[in-house]
This record gives sequence, structure tokens and C-alpha cells, in this order.
Amino acid sequence: MEGVGKNGYQKQVMEIYRFINDHLYFNRPDMEIKGGRYNSAILFSLLTALKKGKELIIGEPGLGKTTSAEFVCALIYQFPLGVIWASEVSGHPEQTEEKIVGRPDLGKLNRGEEDVVWTHFSQTPAKIVDEINRLPETKQSMILDGVDRGNWEYLNEMIINEEYCLFATANYQDGGTNTIIAPLIDRFDTMVESRYPGPNLSFLIGKSKRKDHLLRHPKYEKDLYRIFKSKMAYEKKIPKMEEVCSLFGEYVEKELGVRPLQRQDREGVRAEMEHVELDQDASAFTRMLLSEISFCERYGQKRVVEDCEEGCHYTGYLCHEVKNCASNRLPTSIKEYAQGLAWLLGDSEIDIEHVISIVPYTLAHRVQWKDGVLSLKARAKRDDPVPIFLAKEAVKAVSQRYREQGDHVKDALGIGSKIFQGEPLDPLEGDHPLYQEIKKDLSSRRME
Amino acid sequence: MKTSPLQKKVWPATVAKNPFEEFHSFAAQNEDLPLDRIVQDTEVVMDRIRHGYEKLLEEEAKELVWMVQYNTIIKAYEVAEKFVLEIDYTAEDIEDFCFALENRQKVPYLIPGPAGVYISALCNYAKEEEIALKLSELKTEINLLGFRLPKGRRLVIDGDTGDFTGIGLEGGELSVEGNAKNWTGAGMRSGKILIEKNIGLHTGEWMMGGEIYVGGRVRGLGNIVEGKVFERDKLIYPGKARYPNIYY
Repeated sequence: MEGVGKNGYQKQVMEIYRFINDHLYFNRPDMEIKGGRYNSAILFSLLTALKKGKELIIGEPGLGKTTSAEFVCALIYQFPLGVIWASEVSGHPEQTEEKIVGRPDLGKLNRGEEDVVWTHFSQTPAKIVDEINRLPETKQSMILDGVDRGNWEYLNEMIINEEYCLFATANYQDGGTNTIIAPLIDRFDTMVESRYPGPNLSFLIGKSKRKDHLLRHPKYEKDLYRIFKSKMAYEKKIPKMEEVCSLFGEYVEKELGVRPLQRQDREGVRAEMEHVELDQDASAFTRMLLSEISFCERYGQKRVVEDCEEGCHYTGYLCHEVKNCASNRLPTSIKEYAQGLAWLLGDSEIDIEHVISIVPYTLAHRVQWKDGVLSLKARAKRDDPVPIFLAKEAVKAVSQRYREQGDHVKDALGIGSKIFQGEPLDPLEGDHPLYQEIKKDLSSRRME
Repeated sequence: MKTSPLQKKVWPATVAKNPFEEFHSFAAQNEDLPLDRIVQDTEVVMDRIRHGYEKLLEEEAKELVWMVQYNTIIKAYEVAEKFVLEIDYTAEDIEDFCFALENRQKVPYLIPGPAGVYISALCNYAKEEEIALKLSELKTEINLLGFRLPKGRRLVIDGDTGDFTGIGLEGGELSVEGNAKNWTGAGMRSGKILIEKNIGLHTGEWMMGGEIYVGGRVRGLGNIVEGKVFERDKLIYPGKARYPNIYY
């Protein structure tokens, strides 16, 4: 396919993956895609940085949630680690808007002028929130609103981030944590677990020298602080930041042998990714999955306040196991990350295997399972945390159904298209919520 | 021309986005679901097997009452052979037919004699050398199963069988995982009959060779010409302890 792979960006990104895996973040591979084994925390963090996504990293304290994101940001955005640390927002109950977004310029305020001093967090493209679930919900909301739109507002002033990504870490629930409320958690594209690497790798981590020094550079860090603090317009700061970042990138390449991505590289990567489209199986499978987690024959759609009726015909499908309805952000996350993965593997199209690999991590934090399902499956033998395990099980079930009736589903969609364009055909019948949804779309078309 | 401030701006009509557009050119390679195809193929075979059985009944209905006489059986078997040879079936189809026999909607008449002769013909001409029939769920015990089972063929029946089981056996091995009734192994020439549980009267009547093994009790032996009968691993014919038609 034209555009994919011709600039060698995949190789460059895979070298970054290997460098992080070999030297910075020691962990076991925990997912297999097309014969290759990868660590989900590094892989998804790379895709998040490249796709300008939002990732939630969960895990026990001290297992590298924040550091994995920091290493990825340092190598994809060419920021020295010191700058990334200074830009991080730390989650605690006393956190304020002034420390997250910006504060009044007190010198100017004394002179009766109003101006904003923007925080490093609001200015940096690589945003990390440590322990987001220790922030009160209002502050979580403020961050995610800003990240959703890329706009940061304070005292009637605004800066707009053109390029940014968000990594947020969360510990499992304990006394000091708040919950991340459903509308907020839905804004994360993916959720991964930074897992225990096993005693042997853990021992190696303890024995090795401080790895983070590899990605530090005090001079460039000071230069970048100066740019962040300078009074020039934000739009003018960006090229200046890029200049310093490029110098840091050159330093990293020379010293460590791995070439970080410059801004034009990242834009090139994104342009190449845009050419990678879903093939028919990937599209039909995704529709099948979405229909199962949003469909309700009796009440029209899933709603968190409504429960299934006794004797429903569709008890064998996911709609019977979940409480809430899939949001419109879910298919976007699936498409974006599957596109990134397909591109990274050098494939010309997004196929069903890319989608199946991605979906559990885009679904895990968004689905609210019924209590019965949780009590039944949570104690099953597993390697993943419950939400990711349940999402993987769900994807397995849907892919089994797709194997059985994939051609029929595609045929139903094809006939749906023909009916939509006015051909006198009847929609195909079948035992899956998707067939009902196709009929609904066609009947609403006829009513127009 | 001056437009009124109240006049609404008219937006051009837009064509609704076809949400299925990417599948417009999808051509289904095969519209059938694999399961549908299997069911359809099986139904075609089953129809032909049923048709053969009904034809056999029509032929035999001329006799008004179906009498188990060796000539009648041979004649019925010849008719059954004629139909069976024209059908391409598997061992599973034979089992399905056995169950269809009890379904009045599928097979109107179940007459255990002709049914057994027909099933025996199906078994004797099946592609598979070993056939297993799970008949333990059947309410009717079918007679004449294993009739003329040829050498090199093995028929395993899970469940009880009726009268005349394994008669005229021609070298095959018939194993019944259950009970068998009277006249089992009558006229058998060679081969082996294994009955896991008990067996009825006239066992091995006029048998000319072969062996009958019974895991349970033998209720009565027939007039045996040649061959062996074992009861719980103990040879009871030929032997001093047992005489023909002695009931136990």
C-alpha cells in the first residue's frame, strides 16, 4: 500500500519499543499478535503517544506505571525526563486548578494587569497524571475536559494544544482513592496493566543502576524550562521547544543508539496511519461487538438503569451480561488503535486480528458487568486483572460467533446497503442483535 | 430582490450517509450456513433411507402378517439390499434412521422385523467397517439386528435388542451392550456375538459355527449344530452341563 512503510518509521518506532523493553522497562510480553509477542503496557503507550490518545495505566504501586509512560513520552516526543517530571500532575486531594492549568501572574496583578502563567502540564504535548484516582472527581473532570478538546482556559485566556496525548495512572482501590466516574473513564481510549515482571526481572531492576539517568540532560532541561516560563505566545513557544527537543533527540541517538521521533516524523507517521483502513471482516466484527454491548430488544438499547427481562431471546449475547451501553467513543478508540497497530506491523489494512488484539484494552474500563457475571467469572484462573480478563473473554465469545456467521453478517450488511440505496430487497434474517440493528437502520431510512 | 429577515435559509437536501456502504459490493460466496448445508444433506439421505424402508414395507405388506420364517427374512433382505445399494449414507445416518423409526411423523409404521432386516442391510453395506448404534434410548427393541453381518465388519449396539439378533451371521463381530432376546445367533455360520448382559431362549438354534459370549445369564440354548457358547467366560456348549432347550 502506498504510503505505508516507505519512510521507515515503523522500523524507527519498533527500535524505540525494543530499546524501552531491553533497557528501561523490564517486563514480560503479555500479548501475542500475528506471531509476535509484545508487552501491552509499552505497546499501548507507544500507540497512545503516536495516535494522540488517552491511556489509563493501572497496577500495584511500584510496578512502573508512571515510568513506562515517561520513557515512551521521552522517546516519542524527545523531551528529557526532567521536563516530563516537572510537567506531571500528581494526584492528591489538595490539587488545584492553579497547579494543573495556570495561575495569575502575580507581578502583573500587582500592577493591575491580568495575565496567566501557564503550567508546564498545560503546555506540554506529553501529559502525565500520576494517580488520577487520588484526585477529587471535579479535578479529574477538569483535566479530561481540557484533554478532550486540547483547550486550556484560565482567567479568560486560552491556549490550544495542537498535539498532545495523556497518560494517567491509577492504583487499585484503597482508602486513599476516589473512583473515576463512568463518564470520565469513558474518555480514556485504552486501559492497560503495568504488571509484576516476575521475581527474576524484578531482581534485575533492583540491581541495575538508575535507568532514568539515561534520558536526562540538565542543559536541555533548563532550556526547555526557560521556554515554558517565557512570556511569549504559546504558538511561538512550540517551534522553540521543538528546536531544543531535536537537540535532545540527537543527543539520545548519539549516546544510546536509538533515534527519537521529531515532530515531522510524528506527523509523517500519522499521515501514513490515516491511509490504513478497516477491511470488511474487521468492520463487520466491530459492528457485531458493538451491537452486542448496546442492544436491548425490549427497551431499544442498553441503559444502566434498566435490567434484562426474564425469558429474553438474546440471553446468550453480551447484552445480557452488561449493564451499560457502549459509547460512541468506543468505536473511535478501536479504529484509532487498531489502525496504529496495523501500521506498526506493516500491514496495509486493519484486519480482524488487529481489532481482536486491541478491543479488550479499549473495552475493559468502559463496560459495567452485571454482578452475577462478576461473581461467576472473577474467581476464574487468569493472568489479567478482572476488567481486562472479562473483556478478553467477551471478545473471544464474539469472535467465535463471528467465525460461525461472519459471511452471513457481511451479506446482511451488503444487502442492507443495497436496500438503503433503494433496491427492492428484504433484509437478511439471523440470530444476532446486529440483524435487528440493520433492520432498524433500514426502517428509519424508509420513514425518511 | 430584498429578502425578508423572517425568511428562513433553505439548506440543500443532503443524502443520508449509507452506514453499510463498505459492504455494498460484498458478494456472499455461499449463502448457506455450514450447519444448514449439513442438515440439508442429511435430510436428503434420510429421505432416501426412509423411502427404501417404506418400499420394503409395501413389498412385505402383501404377506399381510409378517412371519419370521427364514424364507421371508431372506426375501425381505433381498428387497432391502436393492434399495440400500442405491443410497450413499454413513453410519450416523443409520443411527438417525433408528431414531426416526419411533417418530410417527417421519416413519408411519415401525414393524420390528422388517425394520431389523433393513437396518442389517444398511449396516452390511455401509462404508465404515465398524458401526456403532446407540439404541439405548429407543422404546422398541428391534429384531433381527446383525443379520448376515459379514466377515471384517463390527457392529456395536448400545442398548437392548429383540429376537433373532445376529442370525445368519457370516463372520462379523456383533457386540450388544445390553440384553438380547430369544433365538440369538440362530443359523450363524461363523463370527462372534458378544452379549454384555442376559440372553433369552433358543440361543444358537441351528448355528453352524462361530462363538457366542454372554456376560450375564443364558436363559436357554437351542439345538446347536456346531460352535461355542460361553456364559460368564465359562464354556457351556459344547459341554456336559447344558442340554438344548433346557431352561434355567
